[in-house]
Amino acid sequence: MSRHDYIPQVPYGTKDILPLDAARKRDVENDLARLFLAWGYQEVITPTFEYYETLRASAPEAADDSSFRFFDRSGRMLALRPDMTTPIARVAVMRLKESPLPLRLFYLANVFRQEEAQAGRQCEFYQAGVELLGAGGIAADAEVVALAVESLLAAGLVDFQVCLGQVDFISGIMAEAELDAVLGHKVKRALVERNMVGLGELLAECRVEPGSRDLLQQLPMLHGKLDMLQSVRRRVKNETSQAALDNLADIYQLLEKYGIDRHVMFDLGIIRDFDYYTGMVFETYTAGLGYPICGGGRYDRMAGFFGREQPATGFALGIERVLLALERQGLDTVRSARGVYVGWAEGKLPQAIAAVKRLRDEGETAELGLQEQSRATAERESKLRGCERCLYID
Amino acid sequence: MTSPDKDMLTIALPKGKLFQPAADRLARFGYTAEGLSENSRKLVIVNETKKIQFIITKPMDLPTYVEYGAADIGIIGKDVLLEESKDVYELLDMKFGLCRLMLAVPAALRREKLSDYAHLRVATKYPRVAEQFFLNNGIQMEIIKLNGSIELAPMVGLAEMIVDIVETGRTLKENHLLEVAHLHRATARFIANRVSFKMKFERIHQMVEELRTLQEEESQS
Repeated sequence: MSRHDYIPQVPYGTKDILPLDAARKRDVENDLARLFLAWGYQEVITPTFEYYETLRASAPEAADDSSFRFFDRSGRMLALRPDMTTPIARVAVMRLKESPLPLRLFYLANVFRQEEAQAGRQCEFYQAGVELLGAGGIAADAEVVALAVESLLAAGLVDFQVCLGQVDFISGIMAEAELDAVLGHKVKRALVERNMVGLGELLAECRVEPGSRDLLQQLPMLHGKLDMLQSVRRRVKNETSQAALDNLADIYQLLEKYGIDRHVMFDLGIIRDFDYYTGMVFETYTAGLGYPICGGGRYDRMAGFFGREQPATGFALGIERVLLALERQGLDTVRSARGVYVGWAEGKLPQAIAAVKRLRDEGETAELGLQEQSRATAERESKLRGCERCLYID
Repeated sequence: MTSPDKDMLTIALPKGKLFQPAADRLARFGYTAEGLSENSRKLVIVNETKKIQFIITKPMDLPTYVEYGAADIGIIGKDVLLEESKDVYELLDMKFGLCRLMLAVPAALRREKLSDYAHLRVATKYPRVAEQFFLNNGIQMEIIKLNGSIELAPMVGLAEMIVDIVETGRTLKENHLLEVAHLHRATARFIANRVSFKMKFERIHQMVEELRTLQEEESQS
């Protein structure tokens, strides 16, 4: 192929973020970072790639199915991080052993998943999130949910819904139904695939106690406010599921105190992509976007994979998804024009440099012309570049 | 995207044989719109009073519209869902449009056991489903993706076998094709976008329940 035939491309599932979008992204990220800091969370930055074994330890399926993998010189397998939760759990165990608990950490990072690209989720995408490590209990869960809500508000979204679920609720019912291993696996897969028809067929085939069968079959319908939670509470017989429901009710009480309960509903059918969750989980939806913008939950066992048991909870939100939702709901802030264009006549460059310096010191955005030009040319140039006004030095 | 008008419910219906029965069943509960027909020139058919709108898509594209939330819900054959494997809720088996996905071969090429067929060319509209079936059975095949008239392929030597949907078996018979294996049984399914199902829960849930009652009535009569 000759040099002239080469048409540059970006790899599948990646994209260039151009100035206008980059500015919007930066705005949202700044707002989020400010908010996280205000809640006492500290930023951490971890390597873009990790040893594959590290990622596999906590989330084997995600690491196997969708990570980008490659080798270092000594032949060890590396992988681009598919999420930030595992790297942060590793950092907490390896590096921050002596920090007082609970640890509050946040990140703004790109993550990588080799899967079919969709709007708002390419193979490389950006996340903002927090991890609250070393704290079990409802206060920690409520804090994380409340902060997720505040994050979306800070990003500029108005209308969204947080759905709370509990993985123990489902595991309790699965245990109660006494499914054998094979069937249990199939049932779980049907739930993960949101295949309610397939689930019904599976359950009809086997002998399951009718009470738990109905609950399993109706899982995605168990959606509502506190009254739904209470009516389900009366139907479940096993202690694990009962405790899970009580846990959700307790968290909800705290969310009322945070004043964000109007955004919150319960959805006992929530199944998260990652297997590492152990307690409360949540997802956030908004109109105009066909997939969640934010999700998270409790994952108490992960640190154990790295040698130290430690309860943990957190969430991540998709930056591109937030930007897309803002755009579709007509809420994206219109960026101000690009400030002042400073043009100059022959010999006036020193004065022009002084002028842009003065403008910038005053907090304005100022762009300096790099060639002498007439007033008319300078004004045309200013307009062309989208500047708010033109200053001409002669 | 889900319609920014939060109250509007977008329903996707597939062109082809499932269209009319699907539209009829929805209409029984008032989910219809003026001018809703398969050959409608309009791309989006709106019912302002009921706050619903319809879009009519190619069957294979329908799950994509629902996965992205361009439509909140849709009615589509299980054969398409198996092939497209999208992240959507499959809420109800609507029990109509029954067909079977079959592996078929010209009578002249018939062999004794399934495992006797290997290294042949298979023409199909369902490459993923076919691939999975052969994988599960440990058979290596070369799969040729076509978009229609699958039964033509063995007649002209493009492929030795086909994987296709069969309703009555008449087309197979007319083309001297024999059924070798049954891959899946497929009926129409009611699917929903995962966010729409939560954000518009009451309406979608009500619809599913209405359609479920209709089915129970039908199965009793």
